[in-house]
Amino acid sequence: MQAVVLRGNQDGYQLVLDQAASFKEIKETLRELLDNLAADSNATNQISFDVLSNQRLLTAEQNQQLEQIFSEFDHFQIHKVIPDVITIEDAIHLKEQDNVHLATQTIRNGQTLEMKGDVLYLGLINEGGRLLTTGNIYVMGTVLGILQAGYPSGEDKVVIGDLQHAQQIRIGEQISIVETDQPSKGSQTVAYVNDLHVLEYGQLSDLKTINPKIYHRMGG
Amino acid sequence: MGKSIVITSGKGGVGKTTSSANIGTALALMGKRVCLVDLDIGLRNLDVVLGLDNRIIFDIVDVVEGRAKLAQALIKDKRFDDLLYLLPAAQNTDKTALTEDQAKAIVDELKKEFDYVLIDCPAGIEQGFLNAIAGADAAIIVTTPEISAVRDADRVVGLLEKNPLKEESHLIINRIRGHMMADGEAMDVDEITHHLGVPLLGIVLDDDEVIATSNRGEPIVLESENPAGRGYRDIARRLEGETVPLMKIQQPKTSFWSKISHWFSRG
Repeated sequence: MQAVVLRGNQDGYQLVLDQAASFKEIKETLRELLDNLAADSNATNQISFDVLSNQRLLTAEQNQQLEQIFSEFDHFQIHKVIPDVITIEDAIHLKEQDNVHLATQTIRNGQTLEMKGDVLYLGLINEGGRLLTTGNIYVMGTVLGILQAGYPSGEDKVVIGDLQHAQQIRIGEQISIVETDQPSKGSQTVAYVNDLHVLEYGQLSDLKTINPKIYHRMGG
Repeated sequence: MGKSIVITSGKGGVGKTTSSANIGTALALMGKRVCLVDLDIGLRNLDVVLGLDNRIIFDIVDVVEGRAKLAQALIKDKRFDDLLYLLPAAQNTDKTALTEDQAKAIVDELKKEFDYVLIDCPAGIEQGFLNAIAGADAAIIVTTPEISAVRDADRVVGLLEKNPLKEESHLIINRIRGHMMADGEAMDVDEITHHLGVPLLGIVLDDDEVIATSNRGEPIVLESENPAGRGYRDIARRLEGETVPLMKIQQPKTSFWSKISHWFSRG
C-alpha cells in the first residue's frame, strides 16, 4: 500500500494515510500525489480533501506541516483531518459526559463541588454551598444552597427534584432566585430554560414537552 | 462624593456586622444612599444579617478579577427603595484574594455614587483589616464592656493612630447590660471611653431582639420601640451631624411585688 491513497466518493475526495508509513514518507508521497493531480486537472475551483489518518493521531505540528504542503497548491485545501482514534483523556471526557454520576457528600457554606456530566445528588447542600456540573442535576437529597447545571453555558440542561428550599438554581447563564420565583412544592419540580432564555419551573409530568431529548434518554 | 467608614474592632463577635447592617439601615431610613461592603472574605455574614444571602450572584472578588462589573455585583435591598445596597464578600476564597489597592479602588468607585460606604471589617489585624482600612475616610471602633474586647479595641486604635485616616475614629460600645454596669461588674461607658481616648459615637444596649431579628434577616433599627434599635438610630443621626444626647442606661424595673417576693426568697 502506498503511504497516501486518493479516494473519491459522493461526499468528495479523501486522502487515506497509511498508518504503517512514516510521516516523512507520507509528506513526500502527498506532495508527489498533489503535484500529479495539479498537472492532470485544470480545475479552477477549490477542491477540499478529507484526510483520514486511521489509527494515527497527528500532532499540531504534523497538522501544520500538512497544511503547509497544501498551501503550495492554489486549488487544494484540507477540509478536515479525521482519525479513527482519540486520546485516553478525550475518551474519559466523553465517558464522563455520558454517565450519571452519584454524589453523596455534604457541601457546606463556601464549598463548591464541581462535576462533569449528569449528577444524581443524594447528599446535603447547606446554605452557601454550590453543586456545579456541565450536565443535568437530579436531586434526591436536601438542597439549601445553589445548584448549577449546564456550567458554563449549556441552557439545554435541566434540574429536577425538590427545589423549593434552595437559594438559587442556575442553568447555563440563567439564574433564578428561589425566594423570588417560588417553584412549586414537591420532589417533581423541573427547572429549565425556555425559548425566551428565561429560567422557568415545570412539573416532571411535562418533561416530554419541556425537553424531549432528556425525556427520551430517560426511557420515557 | 460620599464618605467611607470602616467598622472594626479587632476582636471577633462584638457586633461589627450587626452594627454595619443597622447603621447602614438607619442611614437609609434617613434618606441617605448607603452601600455596605462586606470585606470578611471567606466568612461572609453581612448578607445573611440583611436577609440578602439568596440573591448573591457576583461578589467583590468577581469584580476585582474582572468576572463582573461593580454594578452587577451590588445587591439592592428592596425594602428601602434604591437607598441601601450590599457588595457581598466572596465565600470560596480567603482574605488574600484582595489587595489594599484593589479594595481602595472599589471603595473610591462606590463613594462617587453613595452618600455613605460602610465597610464591614473582618476580625483580626491581618490582611483583611488592612484591606478594610485602605479605602476608609474614618473608622468606627466597636467594643463591648468586656476587658478582652476593650484590650483588642485599644490595639486597633493604636494601629489606626500609626496610619491615620482622613478623619478621627469614633467609638461604639455595644451589648451594654444596665444591671451589670450599675453593679460595677462591667466596665462603665465613661471608663471605656476614657481608657481608649476615642470620642464616643454611641452606645447600644444588649437585647434579645437583636439576635431574634438578625435571624430573620431584619435589622433591629426597623423596630421603632426597641432600645438597641434606638441606639443605632441615634448613632446614624450623630453621623449626620445632629446633636443627640446619650440615652440613659435604664436598670430593669423591679416591681413592688417582685421586691417583696425577693425578700421572702432570701429568707
